[in-house]
Amino acid sequence: MTEALAMTGIVKRFGALTANDHVDFSAHKGEVHALVGENGAGKTTLMNILYGVLTPNSGTIDIDGKRVEITSPSVAIKLGIGMVHQHFKLVPSLSVAENIVLGHEPGKHFLLDLALARKQVEEIATKKFGISIDPDAIVADLPVGLQQQVEIIKMLYREAQILILDEPTAVLTPQETEELFKTIRKLANGGKTIIFITHKLNEVMNVSDRVTVMRQGQLVTTIETAQTSAVQLAEKMVGRSVLFRVEKKPSVPGKVLMEVKSLKVDSSRGIEAVRGLSMQVRANEIVGLAGVQGNGQDELVEAIAGLRQSREGDILLEGEAIHNALPRKIRDMGTAYIPSDRTLVGLSVNDSIWENMILGHHAYEKFGKGLTLDKKKATSFTQSMIEEYDIRGASPQAPAKSLSGGNQQKVVLARELSRGGKLIIADQPSRGVDIGAIEFIHKQLIAMRDLGCGVFLISADLDEIFSLADRILVIFKGRIMGELSSSEATIEEVGRMMAGIARDGEKKIDE
Amino acid sequence: MERRKLTNKKILIEIGRPIITIAIALLIGAAIIALMGEDPVLAYNMLFKGAFKGLGNIIATLQNTTPLLFTGLAVSFAFRSNVTNIGVEGQMLFGALAAGIVGYYVHLPWFLHIPLSVIAAGLAGALWAYIPAIMKAKLNVNEMVVCLMLNPIALLITGYLSSYPLKAPGPTNKTFDIMKTARLPQFSNSSQFNAGFFIAIALLILFWYINNHTKKGYEWKLIGQNPVFARYGGINVERNVVQVFLLSGMVAGFAGAEQVLGVYGAFYNGFSPGYGFDGIAVAMLAKFNPLAVSLSALLLGALNSGSIVMQMMTSVTRDIVKVLQAVIVLLLAADFTLDMFHKKKREDAAGRKKAKTETEKS
Amino acid sequence: MNEILNLNLITTIIRISTPLAFAALGGLLTFKAGILNIAMDGFMLVAAFTGVAAAYFTGNLYISVVAAVMASMVLSALFGYFNLKFKANIFIAGTAIGILASGLTAVLLKGIFGQMGVFTAREVLRFPQYKIPVIDSIPVLRELFSGYTILVYMAFIFTPIISFVLYKTKWGLRVRAVGESPDAAAALGINVFSIKMQTVILSGLFCGLGGAYLSLDYVSLFSRDMTADRGLIALAAIFFAKGDPFKTVAVTILFGSAQALSVRMQLTAGIAPQIMQIIPYFVTMLALVIVGIQAKRKHFNLEATTAR
Repeated sequence: MTEALAMTGIVKRFGALTANDHVDFSAHKGEVHALVGENGAGKTTLMNILYGVLTPNSGTIDIDGKRVEITSPSVAIKLGIGMVHQHFKLVPSLSVAENIVLGHEPGKHFLLDLALARKQVEEIATKKFGISIDPDAIVADLPVGLQQQVEIIKMLYREAQILILDEPTAVLTPQETEELFKTIRKLANGGKTIIFITHKLNEVMNVSDRVTVMRQGQLVTTIETAQTSAVQLAEKMVGRSVLFRVEKKPSVPGKVLMEVKSLKVDSSRGIEAVRGLSMQVRANEIVGLAGVQGNGQDELVEAIAGLRQSREGDILLEGEAIHNALPRKIRDMGTAYIPSDRTLVGLSVNDSIWENMILGHHAYEKFGKGLTLDKKKATSFTQSMIEEYDIRGASPQAPAKSLSGGNQQKVVLARELSRGGKLIIADQPSRGVDIGAIEFIHKQLIAMRDLGCGVFLISADLDEIFSLADRILVIFKGRIMGELSSSEATIEEVGRMMAGIARDGEKKIDE
Repeated sequence: MERRKLTNKKILIEIGRPIITIAIALLIGAAIIALMGEDPVLAYNMLFKGAFKGLGNIIATLQNTTPLLFTGLAVSFAFRSNVTNIGVEGQMLFGALAAGIVGYYVHLPWFLHIPLSVIAAGLAGALWAYIPAIMKAKLNVNEMVVCLMLNPIALLITGYLSSYPLKAPGPTNKTFDIMKTARLPQFSNSSQFNAGFFIAIALLILFWYINNHTKKGYEWKLIGQNPVFARYGGINVERNVVQVFLLSGMVAGFAGAEQVLGVYGAFYNGFSPGYGFDGIAVAMLAKFNPLAVSLSALLLGALNSGSIVMQMMTSVTRDIVKVLQAVIVLLLAADFTLDMFHKKKREDAAGRKKAKTETEKS
Repeated sequence: MNEILNLNLITTIIRISTPLAFAALGGLLTFKAGILNIAMDGFMLVAAFTGVAAAYFTGNLYISVVAAVMASMVLSALFGYFNLKFKANIFIAGTAIGILASGLTAVLLKGIFGQMGVFTAREVLRFPQYKIPVIDSIPVLRELFSGYTILVYMAFIFTPIISFVLYKTKWGLRVRAVGESPDAAAALGINVFSIKMQTVILSGLFCGLGGAYLSLDYVSLFSRDMTADRGLIALAAIFFAKGDPFKTVAVTILFGSAQALSVRMQLTAGIAPQIMQIIPYFVTMLALVIVGIQAKRKHFNLEATTAR
């Protein structure tokens, strides 16, 4: 049987980095094939090659047994390959129909036949999905789940036989994820080949027929999903037993460092993201916040750090109200913030490491009297931080972008933790960081806790939460769904809460 | 070892590129001159001599350089913080008018009158810069577009004022001649080279120091490099953007002060042949480095100054300098990466960048 | 007062607005494609010069218009290339093109015709005026629609055509998509560079017509920098009308009126010309402020889910 897709011996290098190292990847017609791996494993690169965004250094691709050369996305589309990216590629002010037919518009010669477009969109949507979507709705007005549907319909409209989905559930609620899986199954049953890239092993077990694991540019294995388990997959992803727990003494929580009371915060789109949330972080404890991305965590954290206005409610730092205070004030009061987006928010990658290291306390006496900036003091401080935090490959003058992800994160950590803060907010601290650095970071956070700090940990990685947190809070639709002590919590229970099912088994209705 | 080779190559490119660009521009200019039936060698000869031969010419060159020092600095300084202040022309005009007004209507001894007039000019420039500043900071409106509109408005307002209510009697549209006590001392009989030149140089050094050795300079650099990061670090980005804009406008205002207090002695409607826009070219050539501004301003000043002589001695008009300037700016603004013509290398670079960001994002 | 507001004013306004309308129509295409086109003055200027030069050498108005348009398109291609291919900053590239046009036309003016300021041909060529029957005998309607030359009619007839192209053709949809979300368009295989380049060259075409009109029809001469920021005013009209084709041209007529009134008021009543001349810029500034305030209230963005 000819494969729907066969990629053989794919090699892709970016300078010294080998992103794909002689990868042989194939997919059957009508199957749901999951592609998993850690960050940097090479899965997105491989799919970008398939979609014509990148060209391989060597290797071949066969579609339905025929040798092809995919030099651009339009070639890929013509070959029946469609890709839905993690960050949607939609034109906000245009309608659903216009977005879907863009580049492939129906109409005689140069004319645009929108009426026909509308009809065709409706046909595909109902025929393939059984979902009604208004072709005239403006994309910007749609919720995220529907926008993703538009992206999928867009590919189906172009008669894609092979659909690549890049981390599709990252922005979906559990219900939307369920819907998506139903859709994927329907499409596969209809003969389409679905490849989806994901981190989430439970999804792999849930919906895929086969799964391919990649690690450090190489294809580790391709296996029938029925013949493996999440734990096995995880081990193959990192090459060793994943379940490590850093040594941690039980915590003796002290006074309340930070308190949030009935907080309401709006998202950038004007929708209420934090809807009356209350929580506390005390000294000597690590509070972990679990939740599906998009339930208000980002807005909550930004409000606490002073980067976002809150509409109602209080945020208190050691009793003092800080909601809507300037970031400067919040920092000066002793808050350390490790942001989730390291390259955009946590660092200025084009600047030197010392310039990155002194931000937030650059105005202090220790870096120069009055208005002047004493570069010598700044660089020597940076050098001592480099040594203390074991930041590899760094010198104070080197640009921050020359460091690897893990070392960059260490710069952020060094800067934030060296200021002597009491409250530490760590948002996705191990994202994009290698195992060795993760261990270091975890040890640091626990050490800070033992010194009397309160750590507020937000992470999409349940392992990390269970490993570090003393107390676990689950956020769902802008409110705290439930609170568990880490000793008594189970992954299943936390997972249920993340899906909106309260402890007593009642599904929380959307208010 | 390989790293050192790369930096040497980089330095060569950094210096070599402006030189090659100037050479190409000169060649194109020569071609045009030749096509017009004139002698390019003679023209360039006169151009060069006119700029540099003899003390008189050198002083004239320096005088032509002075307004460019101010405007070049204004644009460079702002750009470092990612503020594209292209409203320099308008800010300069208001500064000039303010200097002309304070210079005439106020009576003070020179050691008070000159500083007051200069400060008035700086204030006027800063105030005019406040409009795009506040629109960028508070309303997130693109400052380029606002400045585009404000320049002709400034020209029209100052034009109106100097042609009607504030007009001095006589055939020209200008304000009253300023008091002698407001005049910046001139150092030459043959040109209007004046103390403003030294003020400009002092400003260049001052701003270099601010950029590199003060905490504010550090903050201002950061808001240009990564405003999100800066904000996160406690820097009030909006307020600093306004500060940068105001300072930039102030320097542009000083440019106007030098022209009125040092050169003309009054506000003449239309006195500026586009110093503000030239400032952008100067800033670009200098890669927005205040110290390098001195060199690029000198280059353009020399072209302007030398072209006067060239026009006198040959039949090639000064307009050719505009052509040279435009070609230089275009060539320098372009990004001709050496391997630009190889698709693979191009996508590799893009892919590498994308791969890095997406790896760390997901 | 009668010297200012009479039926002739309508004619003057229409004729003054014609080059503005041409520039605005071309600029609209680049605007929709996400390009800040401040080089239009340069395009019009070279067109104006080339038109006069061609008229001098060929004696044929229509060939001259074609020559003017071609010159303008060449310059626009240069602008497009430097900005889109070589990534030159749009404002710097635009201003440089403008200065290049100014300098080059002045140099050629001296070099070819030996003039420093103004050049008029020995015999003045004129475009024929078309009187529309019936309408020509009704006052007001006559001033509005009849008796104009072909270029004037072209400018205004092109308005619905441009609107149609933008909203009812495939190319128009792609232009709008490219302007708003180039990543989305590229992911679908649309050549973003190509589309943007096409709009730039089309703006060159329209500015070519505008410039040719300026030196061959509106007046019959070339003088240095005669475009006098018309390109900038056209751009202001586009911003003010938020890119709607019909509104944009309506606004250019508004701005043209300000210009016409300015001249009249100065000639008859000695009123400072600057007062009316400032209107286009001032009014656009206000619009920018209002739009900024409105956007802030809405604070609408799709950053979470669309590609940066």
